[in-house]
Parts: sequence; C-alpha cells; structure tokens
Amino acid sequence: MTKPGQMMNNDREVARLLWSRFIWRHWSREWKLTAVLLLIIALGVAVFLSIRLANKAAVSGFGLFTESLAGQSDYLIRAKAGHMPLSNARALRQSLGSLSVGLFPVLERVAVLDGERENTIRLVGADLVALQNAGNYTEGGQVIAPESGKSRSNDSPIFLGEQNLVFSGASFARDREIEPGDRITLIVDDQSVEVKLGGVLPENPNFPSVPPNLLIMDLPSLIQLSQTGEVISRIEVRVSPGAQKDEILKAAAERMSEFINARSLILETPSQRKSSVTQMSSAFRLNLTILSGLALLVGTYLIMQAMEAAVIKRRAEIAVLRSLGVTPLQIRRAWIIEGLTLGIAGSALGVVIGIILALGMVGAISRTVNTLYYETTTNAIEIGVAEIGFSMLFGIAASLIAILVPARDAAMAPPAQMMRQGAPGGGLIFLRKPWLGCLFTAAGLAAAFLPPLCLKGGSIVPVGGYVAALLLVLGGSILIGLLFQPLGTMISRLARNAAPMWGYAMSQLRHPGGRHRLTAAGLAVAIGMSAAMGILAASFENTLTSWIGQILRADLYVSGAGAQSVNNENNLSRETWETISEMPGIAGLDKLRRYRVSIQGKETFLGGSDYHDDQERTLKLIWLEAPEIPGEQGLLRDLEGAIPGWFSESFCRRFGVKKGGIVDLPTPAGSHPVLIDGIYAEYGNEAGMIIVHRNYTREWFGDDEASQMAVYLEEGTDAERAKEAIESAFPTLRVRTNTRLREESIRIFHQTFSVTYALEAIAVLIAVTGLGLALAGLLLDRRNELATLKSLGATRREIAIGAMVEGVGIAGVGLIGGITMSFALGWVLIYVINPQSFGWTLIYRVPWLSFIGLTIVTLLAAGIVAYGVGYRNAELRSDQDD
Amino acid sequence: MKLKSWFIVGVLGLIGCADVSLGQDWQVPDPAHTLSFPRDHGSHPNFKIEWWYITGHLESKGRRFGFQATFFRLGQKPGSEKPDELLGNSQLYLAHMGISDPVNKIFLHEERLNREGWNAGASVNDLDVHNANWSLKRTGKSMRLSGSVRADASWDLELIPQKGPIIFGEDGVSRKGPEGTASSYYITYPRIDALGSIRIKDESFEVTGEAWMDHEISSSQLDRSQIGWNWTCIQFNDGREIMGYVLRTADGENSPYSRLVWIGESGRLHHLTLQDYQWEHGGSWTSPESGATYPISPTITALDPKTGENRILRLQPLMPDQEMTGTAAGISYWEGACDVLDEVSGKVVGRAFLEMTGYADDIGEKLR
Repeated sequence: MTKPGQMMNNDREVARLLWSRFIWRHWSREWKLTAVLLLIIALGVAVFLSIRLANKAAVSGFGLFTESLAGQSDYLIRAKAGHMPLSNARALRQSLGSLSVGLFPVLERVAVLDGERENTIRLVGADLVALQNAGNYTEGGQVIAPESGKSRSNDSPIFLGEQNLVFSGASFARDREIEPGDRITLIVDDQSVEVKLGGVLPENPNFPSVPPNLLIMDLPSLIQLSQTGEVISRIEVRVSPGAQKDEILKAAAERMSEFINARSLILETPSQRKSSVTQMSSAFRLNLTILSGLALLVGTYLIMQAMEAAVIKRRAEIAVLRSLGVTPLQIRRAWIIEGLTLGIAGSALGVVIGIILALGMVGAISRTVNTLYYETTTNAIEIGVAEIGFSMLFGIAASLIAILVPARDAAMAPPAQMMRQGAPGGGLIFLRKPWLGCLFTAAGLAAAFLPPLCLKGGSIVPVGGYVAALLLVLGGSILIGLLFQPLGTMISRLARNAAPMWGYAMSQLRHPGGRHRLTAAGLAVAIGMSAAMGILAASFENTLTSWIGQILRADLYVSGAGAQSVNNENNLSRETWETISEMPGIAGLDKLRRYRVSIQGKETFLGGSDYHDDQERTLKLIWLEAPEIPGEQGLLRDLEGAIPGWFSESFCRRFGVKKGGIVDLPTPAGSHPVLIDGIYAEYGNEAGMIIVHRNYTREWFGDDEASQMAVYLEEGTDAERAKEAIESAFPTLRVRTNTRLREESIRIFHQTFSVTYALEAIAVLIAVTGLGLALAGLLLDRRNELATLKSLGATRREIAIGAMVEGVGIAGVGLIGGITMSFALGWVLIYVINPQSFGWTLIYRVPWLSFIGLTIVTLLAAGIVAYGVGYRNAELRSDQDD
Repeated sequence: MKLKSWFIVGVLGLIGCADVSLGQDWQVPDPAHTLSFPRDHGSHPNFKIEWWYITGHLESKGRRFGFQATFFRLGQKPGSEKPDELLGNSQLYLAHMGISDPVNKIFLHEERLNREGWNAGASVNDLDVHNANWSLKRTGKSMRLSGSVRADASWDLELIPQKGPIIFGEDGVSRKGPEGTASSYYITYPRIDALGSIRIKDESFEVTGEAWMDHEISSSQLDRSQIGWNWTCIQFNDGREIMGYVLRTADGENSPYSRLVWIGESGRLHHLTLQDYQWEHGGSWTSPESGATYPISPTITALDPKTGENRILRLQPLMPDQEMTGTAAGISYWEGACDVLDEVSGKVVGRAFLEMTGYADDIGEKLR
C-alpha cells in the first residue's frame, strides 16, 4: 500500500486520485446537479453560437449569382446610383484591350411570386450564352449548366431568345413542387408576368447552392421584362486561372480604375461589396451578438453559484485532503480541471443545441435584416469551424472564470474552517464590497459619454455604451447586496405574526451569505437585461406610434407587391399612377421614387418626391431641424450652386453631416451638390435617406416611376371602396388603408424585436434555474439547522415554506435590483447605444405593465422552485450529502 | 477548306436551333456571284455559317510553336446587315484558340461562345472580327491577330499575306455534297508571314513564322452520311502548298466530294479528286481526356502536277497531344502542327496543320 507521504510527492498520482475520488465520484453521485451545470453552460454557449450563426446566414445571401454557377468573381463594377447602361460593358471591353478578362454583365430585379406576395424573389439576369464560358474561369473548368441536373453535353438546350424563361435552384422547384416546363406568375413592378421554368440548376458540392428565392433569366429576356431600357446592375469581372493571372489582374485593375473614374462607377472586390452591403446591418448584428454574450454572462454567474455550492458541499472532503497533505495548489488545480472539463463538455453540448436554435432563428433575423436593410437571399446555416471554435472558447473561458474564485476559496481555507459545517461563506468576495459597486456604476455612467467607434462602411459601434452597460451590470450586481437587510427587516415587520419559518427565512435574508448575494446578482443581471430590452422596445413602440400618427396622414397607401420595406424595388409606372390619380374620389397623391445610392463608399437611399397640392393634407415629416420652407415649395427653392434636400436623422449621424452642409449626390447624370436644408426623424431605415424633389430624380435617372404613393381621397369617399377600386384596376399593386398600414408597421416592429424577446425569455429561464440551484446549495449547507428545526417540530411543509419565503426574498432583491438596473441600462440603450448605432432618437418609456408581469412571473417561478427545493431538502439528514 | 460546320451545327444543336436543314431564307453560294474585297473579307449575316481560321508555325531562339485561332459566326436567323448592338439573338460567335509548345510538351487551348453584341461581332464591310479579347482585323495589307488561352498564354501577331486570296471550287463555289446547297465560298491566304510576340506561362518570345488563313461562308455543308473528316494544309519549302481533305462516311469509305488542291508558287490551283490521291491512316494517339484514338501521322500520296509523279508525304506531329476539347460545343477534335516528310528521301519538305474530327464524338448522331 502506498503511504500518504509518498503519494503527496507524486503530483500525477494525486491528480489521478483527485480526479477519480474527488471529482468523478461527485459527478456520478450528483449526476442531476452535474447535468444542470452542463445545461447552463450549454444554454449560454448555444444562445451565443446560434445568434452568430443565424446572423451570418441572414447576411450570407449576398453571394453573387456566379458563385452558385461558376465560383467567385475577381471584381465587380457597378453604378454609384441606380443601374448603369449595358453599353458600359462594351466600353469596358474596349478599355481592357487584349487582356484576357471575362466580363459578365448582370441585372438584378426584385419580383414577387403571385400567391406568395410577402416573399420577395431575386431575379438575376445573366447572359446564359456567355455563361457557357464560365468554365474557363474556374480551376478544372467546372460550370453548372442551367438545365435539369444533367451535364452540358446532353441535348437539353438553352432556348436562345425564348422570352420569360427562368431557371431556379433545386430547392425553389422542390418547395413549390414544380418542374421544368411548368409556368409560374411573377409580379415585376406593377406588371404580372407568366414565366416558364426552363430548368433547374443541379446541386454541386463544388459550388454554393442556389438560394431558394433566386431565379435566373437570360439577360436580354430580363431586360425586356423590366422595361427599363438596356441597363444592368453590375459587371462581374473574372480572370482565368493561370501563370499570368496576378499580372493580368493588376493590369486590369489599373485600366478599370481609369474606366470607373471617368464614369462615376464603383470598382470593388466581391468581399468588399459584401461587406459594404452587410455593414449596413453590422450594428444590428453586433447588438445581437453582444446581447447573446450577456446571456452567457448570466450563465457565468450561475456556474459560479453552482461551483460555489460544490465547494461548500465538499468542504469536509477538502479538509480531509488538506490534512492528508494535499497542497492548496493541487486542490485548486483539481477544481480548475473540474471546471475545464465541465466547460468543454457543456460547450460541446451547447454547440449542438446552438445549431438547432440557429435553424429556427435564422428566419427571424433574416426577416429583420430584409425589413430594415436590404433584400437578401437567406442561405442555409453554414456551420464553420471558426464559429464553433470561438463559441467553445467563449464557453470554456466563462466556465474557467466562474470557477477560479471558488477554486481559490476552496484551496485557501484552512482545514479547521473547512471542517466546520454550516459556516457562513461562499459567494464572491467582491460582491461584499459596496464601494466597488459604486466605482463600477460611476465608471459605467462615465463610459456612456465616450465617443462611438466608426467602422469602415459607415456603421458606428457605440463602444462606450456597451462598456457602460457592462460596468453598470457589474456595479448593480454588487450594490444589490445592500438590499437584503432592509428588505428582510421590512418583510419581518410586515409579517410579524406569520409562522416561525417566516422569521427564520427573514433572518437569513437580513444576514445574507455570499451565495444569497451571488444568486440575487445573477437574477438581477438577467432581469436587468430583459427589463432594459423591454424599456427599449416600449420606447421604440411609443416613438414609432407617434411617428406613424404624424406621417401617415393619407387615406390609402399604394406600392408594388412585395415586402413593406425600403428594399422593395417594384415600382409603379407613370401610366399606372396617372390612371390612379384620375380615378373617381381621388383628391391627390404624394409620390416617392426611391433609389439606392452609394455615397463615400456607403450604401444609402435617395428619394425623389412630390406632394399633393392640399397643404393641409399632405405628408408632414417630424422635423428635428426644420427647413426654411417645410412644404413641397421648399424642395423646389432655387438655390445657388445646390439643390435643397431633406435628410433623415440616420443619414446625418452616419455621414457625420449637419444642417447647412452640402452632400455630393452621385447620379447617372453626374454628381449634384445637395444642401442639407432640413433633418427629419425616420425609423424605417437605418441606412439613411435624402429627399429631393421628384423633378430632379426624374431628370437624373430618366424615369417617372413611383416606388410608393400616398393617396388622398375626396371628402365623403369610402377608403375601403377606393382601395377595392384600385385593386381591381391594378391587381398587382399593394393597396393599404391608413389603419391597415399602421397595424402592419407595428407588426413589422414586433417582428424586428422578436429575437430580443426570445433572448429575454432565455435569460429569465436561466436565472430562475440558478435560483433553484442556489437554494439547494443553501439548504444543503444548513442541513444541521434544518435537522434542529425538524427536531423542534417543524414539518417538511413548513421547511419548504421557509425555503420558499427565502427564495422569493432573494428573487425580490434580484427583481428590485434588476429593474433598477434596467432603468440605467435602458437609459444607455436609448440615449447612447441606439442613437449612435441606428441614428434614431427615441422617447424614453417604461413598460410598467410588462414589468408587473415580469415581477409576478419571476416571483411565482422563484416561489415554486424554492418550495420544491425546500421540500426535497427538508428530508436530508445532517450527515447526508444530498 | 475548314470543315468546322460540324461544330457549328453541333453548337446549334446544343443551343436549341437543332434544325440544321437549310431554311429558305438563308442564302447559298452562287457561282454567278463574284466575290469582292475587302467587303467579302467581312461578315455575311445572310449565310448561316461563316468562319475565319488561322493556323501557323512560329519560331524564336530555336524554339518552335504552333497556333490556331478560329472565329465562327453561327447565324440563328437570317440577319440584317445591321449587327445587333448589345445582346443579340440572331448571331452567335464561337471561337477557338490553341497554342503548342513542343519543347515543354504543352498544348493550351480555349473555347468561347458569345452572342453578337457588346462582346462579340464581325464587321460586314471588312475583316474585323472579335470575341471578347480575341480579335482579328485587317489593316491595309496586313492583319492583326490577338489571342490568348486563359491566363497561361497570349499572343499578338502581325500577319502579312504573301499569296492570295485564293478562292477554291469550280466557279468560286466549293461543293461538299451531292445537294447543290451543300457548298461554300472558300477564300484562302495559303502563305502569310507572321511576326509578333507570344507569352506562354512565364516565358515571352519575339516570334516570326508562317501562317495559313481560311475564310469560308456557307449555309449548309452537310452530307448526312458523313461522320467526320481529315483535313490538312501543307506549306512546302519550295513555295507551293496543298489543301486537302477526305470526308469519312459511316460505311468506312471516303466521300467522293473529298478534294486535294495543289497551290503553285504563283497561286495556280491544281484540283485532285479521290482518284488522284490517297489518305492513309498512320500513327496512333489516344487522348486521356476524351478517350478518342487519333491517327496522328497519316501518309498522303498525291500526284504532283510539277513532276507528274506521285509524292508520298507523311505528316509528323510536333507533339501528340494537340486535341481541342471544347466545352461550349461539346465536341473534341485534333488540330495540330506537323512536319511534312518526303517518304522517299526521308527529308522534311514542309510544315503542315492537320485536323481530324469524328473520332471522339458520334458527330453523325448529333447532327442527324
């Protein structure tokens, strides 16, 4: 037999012994607790990973179509505003001379499938004849023929010159149970068009799959369908693989730079394009990521609680080990190994749950991104090693941080103290230092005034706001410890005549242990976050409602079919809006034609509008800084050297411009200086918008279409009837009454916040689980006291009630602390983070009703969980472990 | 003659215009018509099929290279004289480029298909044809050819005809089958001085050499019994040339419409029918890519009008792998630079380009 002295000298032997007798034995004996711990880590990691994956999938639709057919392009050329003439392709070919460069002009349009009017389809027009050459630009010469899954050498042809033939990916055809030869009806602009499915692009493992909402057409066919002249959205530029590729690319880039400079075009790589588009939503996605990170922070608190509980539970054992000569370092190491193992296993489980969650979440995030930013094709979740690795690391780091302090406590405490069961202890030492809480809170408030960080592409990250939120959370979670005594005293006074167990529970609250503080802190963080999001949502809703009330003054709203967002590119032709304006009962129209423009490398919107003659009943913007003349006449003012324009608040924040400044606006007819005459509030579009008079955009862009119209009816005209009349004359249009549009705007708003609601629910769920876990630890720690109480006649039910009162008390502290914290966090969200990242000024509003609901749910859940834990632990003997 | 019509129809079949029969709106070569230049160097949109084909042998610092550049125009509907400006559906342009470097045993080739418009087209007034960055244009007495193969090779050559143009066929019309419509205008520059530069992989060369050019215009060249052909253009060291071909039929025979033409130093033509020459298969190379086996070293026995005796000539390819494996047309063929050996003296007496089709694909099946 090995002597203890020898054993202690052998680190490896000690480690093995600690693993098998100290760690593994507990895990196997307390497998339920271990499982809960694993689940907490897993949930934290899962939320974090799923948000990241879903975010990535939501914006990955910016893959260019050739990626699906023949790999990626080397460069893209596009117009700074609107489309560009196809003749640019010829001119570019001439500029490139004999350089071996492939040019692929592409036109992209948005359409809607009849019968699925909420789902937008991207119509991509490419020269299907030239696409046969795409194999010359891929390694191995691979190209997918737009046919029905067969190789190109078969006899199934592309029908040259056949109009309205579309090709889809496999999933599009599968979802709709259609096959080549079948016909479908599309709505493009205000026209209904029947197209034939010409073929299905086969799945090929070497190419990204064709997104489910993408249809490919022969370029001349789509040009004809669009009726907007021979224009294209971009030219994709490719150089074949080969020994001279780099040299050719360099020479081509030089010539293309000269070419674009002479024509007000943009030259960029696909990754630059992707990031310039996706950067529009980077703040939104970063917000989500940080929120998911906060969920893991709550998880960290809970792991700390659980590990704390484990330290206390195993005190006696630790003391024995110490007396046997195991060094504090060896004990600490054992705890760290335990934490690390739990972290790895929990994170691995979290990855699996995260992927499942992401599958459900991607739709919600994509809808938000589509509504707020741009039309994407949502791709399937791509599970990257980097994402998984990062999430695993995050989970393991959180577990390690959570275990470091309990491990130190376990290692440092002298054996004699350790042996004393029921000794008060546990919890993080810093939670007992109110001055630290004050310091964090003060630093947090100061951080809120830090300037934001500007990202490439125009997105702004409110770093100060996030640091402030983190410090306020930390400070708040320390300071709430101060609430225990007054709360305990207050309840004791109120419940003076209640059962003795109440008194017992109150005394526990009046003299809170570290674990009380830790549990309440965890709850407060979860509730603080949720409630702060609630304040943000309520403020947003309140602001939006009054904004909608102000701007939605017309009787009917008419737009092309498709989603109600800035990205709906379906327009109304002049003929259509003229006919509508002449229909009986129509008093007048406000018309807006929207264009996507690129200013200083950042994507934004330009609107050309004109207004109904009736000054009283026309659109009224909410002015943050009013122009000299706020009506249509203001936009028609003759200024020297500039055109008057109204700029949205988000635009001004994003581009750092102020009233009175001049913005150079790129258009197909050259650059035009626009004076910032007025700044208005707008909550529908984070990318910003410039409004000039339609007379200008009509001239610059050469079209007289309208993206949307507000219709004013003559007095006495029934809105529903007028709506029906327009709809029956133009079945492809989307006509909504004022009431309906208001409802829809609110619905979209809720859709935008759907992800945050889910996160709130998860945070509260985790926190209540933690409460149960902590109470179990507390009661276990007090098993001697419980045994005494029982010997004094306390029943199991009474002990459970005591636990319940204590649990509800802790929850109460967490709630008061959390809700107080939420006011500060809400302030940071509304006055710092939101204006900096979105450019939206909101009116602060507290959703009291929701808070009452949250309070009731949390207290009820805490009460039930605590009662259950108390009831179970009441039966423990003083020498029993569990 | 360059019987690329097989490819053309093959491509037509693939792109959905599989009706290869001659529609009434397409023009056919007319013996009564006199070709006039430079107009007839340009495009003829009222004919269904047209190509400009240049092959040649280049030298630099003791290194030899062979090259091929072919621009096809494939009419989809009888065109107007006004070309489609940006994205037309009435004309397609197919093109092949190839270059062989026997020292490094490299054969590089590329195929392209574009519709008439911003990226491809041909002038109706003069020789000026382009397909993306590839172009062939006449300027004064010379032509300029720009070609490339992926990012691995490129060349820029000035081509100065030394002889021609020669027009093959009786009354200016070259017959390919029993039907009167199966005929073409066949214009050739049989000897062209070439100079310029080429880049292959990382090497650059200033080159000189000799090239051959065909321009053929037709609306139908097909005989449905034909399954492929062997064709060659030979440039002798003595200043004469041969253009010869055999059309292979499904029953293993050679079509009586096969021809061999001697071109004298002064450009005088001497036509031989199958009675006066023989084309015997020789050599064998199997393509690892298409799996086809080509007789890459044929022996041609032909009556020499200068001596009145038979000449026995063997074509010796510079390298076996000179196979064009097209993706757009979906048809593979062998088109390569050769030396010409006099079998009696054993000496190299000239250089040739050899073309063999119908070995990799069942062309007849595709065409019928």
